[in-house]
Order: sequence, then C-alpha cells, then structure tokens
Amino acid sequence: MAGKKSSNLESALQVKNLTVSYGPKPALLDISFDIPPGIMVGIIGPNGSGKSTLLKSILGFIEPDFGSVNVFGNPLAESKGKVAYVPQRGAVDWDFPVTVEQVALMGRYGKIAWWKNPGKDDRDLVDEALKMVKMENFRKRQIGQLSGGQQQRVFMARALTQGADLLLLDEPFAGVDAATERAILDVLEAAKKNGQTLIVVHHDLATAAEYFDRIILIKQRLYAYGPPEKVLDTDLLSEVYEGNLRVFTELKAKEAAV
Amino acid sequence: MIELLHTAFIEPLGQAFFVKSMIGGTIAAVVCSVIGCLVILRKMSFLGDALSHAMIAGVSGGYLFMKLIFDVEAYAPAMLIGSIIAAVVTVALIGFVSNISRIKEDTAIGIIYTGIFAAGVVLVSVFHEYIHIDIVHFIMGDVLGIADSDLWVAAIVASIVLTLIILFFRYFQITAFDPIMAASIGIPVVLIDYLLTTSVSLVVVSAVSMVGVILVVGLLITPAATAYLLSDRLDRMMLLAALFGTTSVIGGLYISIWLDSSGGGAIMLFCTFQFLFVLAVAPRYGMIAKKLRRMRMIPQELTEDILVTILREGGKPVSEQVIKGYIHSHDKYLSKGLRLLTQDEMLISSDGGFKLSDSGEKEAVRILRAHRLWETYLQKVGAPEGQVHSIAHHLEHLHDNEAIGYIDGMLGHPEEGPHGESIPADPLQVAKGKKFQLSLLRTGSEATVTAIGERAKKSGLKKGNCIVLESRVDDGETWVVSVGRRKIRLDHSASDDIEVELSGNNH
Repeated sequence: MAGKKSSNLESALQVKNLTVSYGPKPALLDISFDIPPGIMVGIIGPNGSGKSTLLKSILGFIEPDFGSVNVFGNPLAESKGKVAYVPQRGAVDWDFPVTVEQVALMGRYGKIAWWKNPGKDDRDLVDEALKMVKMENFRKRQIGQLSGGQQQRVFMARALTQGADLLLLDEPFAGVDAATERAILDVLEAAKKNGQTLIVVHHDLATAAEYFDRIILIKQRLYAYGPPEKVLDTDLLSEVYEGNLRVFTELKAKEAAV
Repeated sequence: MIELLHTAFIEPLGQAFFVKSMIGGTIAAVVCSVIGCLVILRKMSFLGDALSHAMIAGVSGGYLFMKLIFDVEAYAPAMLIGSIIAAVVTVALIGFVSNISRIKEDTAIGIIYTGIFAAGVVLVSVFHEYIHIDIVHFIMGDVLGIADSDLWVAAIVASIVLTLIILFFRYFQITAFDPIMAASIGIPVVLIDYLLTTSVSLVVVSAVSMVGVILVVGLLITPAATAYLLSDRLDRMMLLAALFGTTSVIGGLYISIWLDSSGGGAIMLFCTFQFLFVLAVAPRYGMIAKKLRRMRMIPQELTEDILVTILREGGKPVSEQVIKGYIHSHDKYLSKGLRLLTQDEMLISSDGGFKLSDSGEKEAVRILRAHRLWETYLQKVGAPEGQVHSIAHHLEHLHDNEAIGYIDGMLGHPEEGPHGESIPADPLQVAKGKKFQLSLLRTGSEATVTAIGERAKKSGLKKGNCIVLESRVDDGETWVVSVGRRKIRLDHSASDDIEVELSGNNH
C-alpha cells in the first residue's frame, strides 16, 4: 500500500512549539515532538489535558496561536489526504443504511471526481483494506450488525483506503471488551507492519506500555515523550495525574507482576 | 373614554357564552400549558399534533358506533371515549413501531398519526349519510359556542391531570431529565411515560373542541416555550406557562369579540405574539438582552492593551487622545474600555487623563512580562525576526500565571529580553510578604532565605540568611548571591529550590 514509499523519510509527524489557546489560559503550551514513520504512538493524559485539542491541531481543524505541524516533511496545508482520522465509536449513527463495503469506499470519495463512478482501482483498494482488517467476509453487512471490534476495524479500513500514511485514532479501545481490544490491536499492528504511522489517543495507563512504541504524556504542556519505560515513571505520572491513586496502584501491581 | 372601555371590556362579560368560553378556555389552556412544559422538554411537540389528528378517527368511530347500534345521533360521551381510544392506540402504535424497528420515533409518529387520521377521513366520507359531524368544527374549534358538556369534560380532565402532575412531580421531572438514572433508582419509567402520553391525549381531546385540531398543538407548546425563556426551574416554568395560557385565552377572546373573528384563531394569535414579545425582551434568554450583552462586552485584548500602553508611558496620567494613538480600535470601544477599567478600579481617572491604580499596575506589569517573555521565547525557538514583535503581541494575551511561569523557567528566568529590554519580575509572586523561589529574584534585590530544598542543601546558604542577588553570570545560568561578605554561586536547579522573601529597601 501507499505506506511503503514514505518509510524512508525521517519524520512522519513533526510538531514544533505548538501553542493553542481558547482564552488567557493555553490549551496546549509549547508542545514539540517528532514521530518517525512506521511506529505506533499513544497519547495519554488526564481529562481536559488537551489530547483532543492536539488531535484537532494535527488534523488542521484548529489554527494554532504559534507553532507548526509538519506531516512527512510538508506543512499541514499541503498534506491533505495524508492524514486519516478514525472517530470515536460514539460519534457514529450505527443505524445508518450503509454497508461495510460502502464505508470502506467512502475513504476514496475525496479522490473520485463527482461525475465519475468508483473505478476498478478504487474497488481493489477497498478489497485490500478489508482483507487487511479481516473484514472481507462481512462486506455486505450493515454496520449496525457488527460487534464493537468489527465496527472499529471497518473504520480502520476506511482510513486505509484514504491512502493516508498517518492514522489518528480517537480512543479506539474505549468501551470494548478484552477480546475485542486484542482484535483491534492486531489490526493496528498489521497497519504498522504495512508502514503506516499510528497515533492513538488512549486512557488506560495499565495497557499503554504494552501497546505502544512511544508515549506522549501531555497535560497542557508536554511532560514526556519517549519509550514507555521512560514515560510511565511513577513520579512523573503522579505529577500529571495529581495523585489519582487508583492508576498508580494498578501500575505498581503490573510492575510487580513483571 | 370610560364608556368605550366599558363597551370593550365589561360588556362582553355580561354575555353567558363569553363567560362560559372564558372559563372553559382557561381551564383547557392551564392544563395544556402545564403538561406542555414536560412535552417540550422531552422534545415531543410533534406528538401533540399527532394525537389531535388521530382523534378525528376516534370521534367518527364513536359517532358511528352509537348511530348504527343504538341509533343515537351525536352521542357526546361515545365520541369522547372514541377519541381517547384513538389517542391511546396512536401512542401505543408509535411506541411499537419505534421499539421493534430501526425507525426513529419522530418518523414513527408521522407514519402512525397520518394513517389513523386517514382512516377517520375515509370513515367519515364513506358513512357521510349517517355521520353529521362538521369536520370544520373539529379543525377550527369553536370556543365561543362551547357546550356545557365540553366544559365538564375540560374540568374533569384538568383536575385529573393537574393532580397527577402535582402528586408525581418529582417522578415526571427525573424521567424527563435522566430516564436511565431514574430507572436505576427504581422509578417505573415506562409507567410514567404512559402516564404522560395518556395525560397528553386526555388534554388534547378536551382542548380540541375549543381551539380545534390544528391549534391545539400551539396551546400545548407555545405557553410552555414562552415560560421556558423566562425560567430556569421546572416548577416555576409550569406556573408561568399556566399564566401565559390564561392570558392567551382572555386576550384572544376579547380580540375575537372586537374583530368578530374565530375564537381559536384569535387565542393562538395572541399566544404567538405573546411568545414573540417575550422572545424579544426576556432578561436572560431574550434577543435584546443577548444583543445588549454582546454590545457591552469589551474584548479582553483591548483592556489589556490599554493597561500596557499606560504602563509604557511611565507614571504620569495619560490622556485618552494619547492612548488612541497607540491602540487601533473603534473610539466607542476605547472609551468604553477605559470606563470599564475605571469601574474595576484598575485605572484612576483624573484631569490629566488616566493613571494606573495599584492593582492596574500589577496587571499591566504581568502582561508586559508575558509579552517580553514570549518575545524571548520566540527569539529562542527561531521565529522570523520581523514577526517576533507582532506574534508576541498576540501571545501576550496568553498570560495565565502557570503558563508564563513555565515559559520563564524554561528560558532560565531571564532578566532581559532579546534586545536588552528588562523583563519585570512577576508582580504577584515577587512582592512584599510573599515567599517565592530565589530564581525569580531580580539583580540588586535583597531577600531573606525562608527554606532550603533538597537540591540546594550543599549551597552553603541557611534559613534566615540575608542575601543580595549580586549578578547573573554564565549567560544568566548562574546566580551570584552575597551573604555578608561571602559570595555564593548557585545553578538554576539550586536557585529554584531555595525559598526567599523580600526584605530591606526593594523597589
């Protein structure tokens, strides 16, 4: 897929000195990080820490006060279609009369001229994407008739058919059971192997270390960015989460078990 | 003049039909308005419309039943029971369709009520030889020709429904607000739902004979919506809605007498104008209030710019004319901003112009500090030289203490900006009687050490030492303080970990 050719670039996403505000108090303050291609990165932070603002800034929905976002070396404005967004499950009308295949094809809509029908190459891309997320046997299913994990995978397929090399996922693991979480993770791993870069908003500290190559810890400003063992430091977390004890006892239990 | 008023207002009261319609209309309107509050809060306005239309089928069904079986013409109780049955069937079918299928509730309402209404229309036209119902009467209503039986029906329905609402007020409230939570604490949500829809059916049936099928929805929702603009509590909203329902009936009836118009039409017209009037003038949610609020609002950026401009001019009073020279804004806004700042006691207005008060000066210094720190920051991260000032001018309004504190620490607590301008100390922290980090101190200031942290244990300073910050060396990365004759060098981390308070003659 399209992912392969860009993997020789040095940076998939570069955020530099990003400051975003909705008033005298900044929502994001001086955020800088650099994500190399082909890895899976988790964004974690407490509620209201600016996770979704960061996501929106990377998608170009918000004009920053200062700072820049570069996607594969190009400014955001020139990178249309390079970034795909997978919404939270709650944001979708699951009764909508649309099939798995059609949702996956929607990823191509931005590239098909309005007077044309989807061509063979569009359909091939849909096939490929559905195969990759292991949903090829459900192509005629209406999306409401799928399990939570399958639904998430369909939207992954849509992101893949967009031909985007950078995928942003908003809490894909929210409200799914352990088996589904595993299934979603498998798809993410497959996308990663395919050369895609994934950025995942996540809120479960206990699983973060296992899932991600690197973690971004934010609360208004960047507290840490790096490999999980460096970021998931108890002192750092207690500073960011202001001593929310439950989180740490769980994490400590995990540490002890390892 | 008095005679005119007498003819207009008192004379109609002498006529029995007018008084009767006023009593009947008021009873119907009060109960409609009160239950209407629940209807609009549950977003069920469409349901009222549906029920009133479906009634037609029930009325003709009841008529036909009595006519064909007992050969009784236009037997009112049968028509009433028929219409209640039709309403309940409609509600049940709507619930059925939306529960068993993916069809959403608003669509289900549209399907079912038109179907039942159509059945009524077909029934009436097929049996037109037997049925002598005036359909127009149903569509338009006839409040001025109200029958005694209608009056009784309205009174009984109103007393039942109002009693239910008063008795189960809390249940209706919580079911409308948060049905899932209500169910979880054991409230029979489904039962309450049926109680509400049945009450609405009863109310609609009793009101249709007065204002007609089409206008009954208005009586159900308009007074409630009017009250909604004025109240933030459900109980008050219901009281107000009842009041607006009553005024609509009284006002509308007088209009219909004066203009010799349809009673129902006049009532709803009055009700609608009443709503529009409240929409315009409501103190919080009204249009005028909103507009006024927006006009009174002065952008925070403007007031901040004014403060900094006066600060930069030095200690003397600055005239409005001079401020105008620096700030590009509408004159009206500028004067308003100045007035606002004076009201807030940030500025002191005198003959020569405007001067900063103590609190105004602190605020201005804080913003100037933010501006200079942002400038230093921008220089450091490599923003284009020509744009540094204008970007900093925008960013200075981001002056949240915590954010600026972070930027200051990140830059190593600089005392000077990129072009040698001095960066003022934080006026809220570095003040008499406040304890703060030594790193925030400005060169030449005297202070007393109040606490020593872990990272400064080896510095040689002790609690109670009187120190003077002599200088900053190594590009500002080392703090040189003197204790008596001794000079001590501190790095950034150590000086962050020493707490001091101002002493002696500091400015």
